[in-house]
Amino acid sequence: MTEARYLYCIVEGSEEITLGNIGIEGSSVYTISYQDLSAVVHNCLPKPYQSEDQEKVKLWLTTHAKVVEVAWEKFGTVLPLGFDTIIKGEEGFASDENIKKWLKGDEENLRQKLAKLKDRAEFGVQVFWDPKIISEGLIEATPEIKKLSEDIKSKSKGLAYMYKQKLENLLKKALEKEADKYFKDFYEQIRRCVDQIKVEKTKKLEEEKQMLLNLSCLLFKEKSKILGEELEKIEHLKGFSVRFTGPWPPYSFV
Amino acid sequence: MEPSRDTHATLVDLLDRILDKGLIINADIIISVAGIPLIGVNLRAALAGMETMLKYGVMQAWDEKSRAWEREHRKKNVLSLVEGEEIALKMYGSYYYSKGIYNAWRPGYFYLTNKRFIHYRQDFDEITWQIPLEEIKALVVRGEAHFVKGKKKQVLYLIDKQDQVHRFNAVETNQLKDAIEQNLATTGFSLEVNPVLPEFEEGPIDFLTEGEEVTHRGGKVWYLVPASGIKQETWRPGHLYLTNKRLCWWNDFERKLVFDLPVDRIIGVNTGMRKTSSLDSKKEKVLDILYQANLTKGTASFAGKEIDEWAEALNRIVSGKISEETETCPQCGKPAPAKELLEEGCQSCGWVSPRLKKKIAKAALSAE
Repeated sequence: MTEARYLYCIVEGSEEITLGNIGIEGSSVYTISYQDLSAVVHNCLPKPYQSEDQEKVKLWLTTHAKVVEVAWEKFGTVLPLGFDTIIKGEEGFASDENIKKWLKGDEENLRQKLAKLKDRAEFGVQVFWDPKIISEGLIEATPEIKKLSEDIKSKSKGLAYMYKQKLENLLKKALEKEADKYFKDFYEQIRRCVDQIKVEKTKKLEEEKQMLLNLSCLLFKEKSKILGEELEKIEHLKGFSVRFTGPWPPYSFV
Repeated sequence: MEPSRDTHATLVDLLDRILDKGLIINADIIISVAGIPLIGVNLRAALAGMETMLKYGVMQAWDEKSRAWEREHRKKNVLSLVEGEEIALKMYGSYYYSKGIYNAWRPGYFYLTNKRFIHYRQDFDEITWQIPLEEIKALVVRGEAHFVKGKKKQVLYLIDKQDQVHRFNAVETNQLKDAIEQNLATTGFSLEVNPVLPEFEEGPIDFLTEGEEVTHRGGKVWYLVPASGIKQETWRPGHLYLTNKRLCWWNDFERKLVFDLPVDRIIGVNTGMRKTSSLDSKKEKVLDILYQANLTKGTASFAGKEIDEWAEALNRIVSGKISEETETCPQCGKPAPAKELLEEGCQSCGWVSPRLKKKIAKAALSAE
């Protein structure tokens, strides 16, 4: 039966060593090297890890993360792979040979990538706002909206309903404009403190808050303090909050 | 502000990255992972919480529909009884329906009354099968391999006075059997003691070679018959059999084996959702078996309701876990895994090895 190799990450280094039984489902993790590039792998069957059991998948994923983390600590720079990347053997080529062949063929590219990531880490930055609080501020700050909201109070029930709709529409437009503005401001502010930046899709949340901005940032590990300070400024704005996660291996920058 | 790593929210952030990102490798040396996005979606739903999904309408339509269906179906359809008939027991379970080329486990409810034993399908207001109590000749419960690894299911065999055998599977099969026996006793009918279960086959399996035994079988399985000549590849109905030697697919219409493959040639097993009909855009679960052909590799594709069970059974072979020797029971001659025979006794006739008997006696003694 053919065997395959589950790939965690690519690291710099030429020693072929084992990292112990820290892999998915307790498999033994080791490196396969071509010159001074090494792939961190474990032996597996030539089929993807799949399960309906979410707890199991979660465990797989966290184990994957942990192995990459261990390699990151040990080797300094890593090119992490996503979950379930499995290299198979081919006719006349064992999977190990296949990995070496690939490392050889892609050497230049991989080396460049590693150089770009040296001493750097990925951080997640998500900025949220509470539209309710922002709206209150907007009503106060925009005379047109302020007047409308005052007017409602003196209207009959039916008219008040109509005015309310009007107010909501105006507010919605104003909020969108505001969101645009803040997005640009924050993006600029954050971009200045980082090496590379990627805009991710924002996600919907169950809370009152809305996600305004979702970024992946690559920066020198020790520079996270500067970014933290900048984010603190945003956090202090009324109605805003920031989630700052990391340091992660540079999943988004490979 | 310090970055954080260990809260629930940051975990989601990290898992997102592992699922969606990372270095991309040219596709020809990696194993394709069609099922992975699905894992991602599921997991993310679990992480984000069901509430959010509902709130933003992801599953609302589905939720509403299934609730409406429940409401619709919960109220009506009651089994109609004859006069003087009383229900003694109602239990969820399946009846093995087999007629011609169609056979399947049909889910529904068992009703035991003072007159009949009935399998009834509420949703269709249909009595799938019934028998007057006096027609029941014997009952046997047998443990059969469940499709789930290592699990057993209790199957109730009912033999009628015409020596026809019927198969059932219930939530509590033994309880069902006891209830029928009790009911019969109170109504004055008696059952045959120590019945012998006639050899019972559900499909034409005269293709077995010497020493070959079926180890896994199931309901209808469709096979993608490869193109030949001017004929395009087509899905055909039939049955799949896994034996200790081969994987065989029996074509129901041609009534012959169309595909057989020695098990040691199976390289890999994969499942995925695919369109199986040009008329219907619905996707179905398809099992792809990668195998070693003479000098090249071949793929065989199967579809059907029990694809997951098949994938599991085949995966066990691929991963080399099926190494259990089979033996035959010294009393009734039924094949069973040797380990099971020795450690648990025979599931069909109740034979127990002398050593196990001693062990049980010892345990009983020490319990006293």
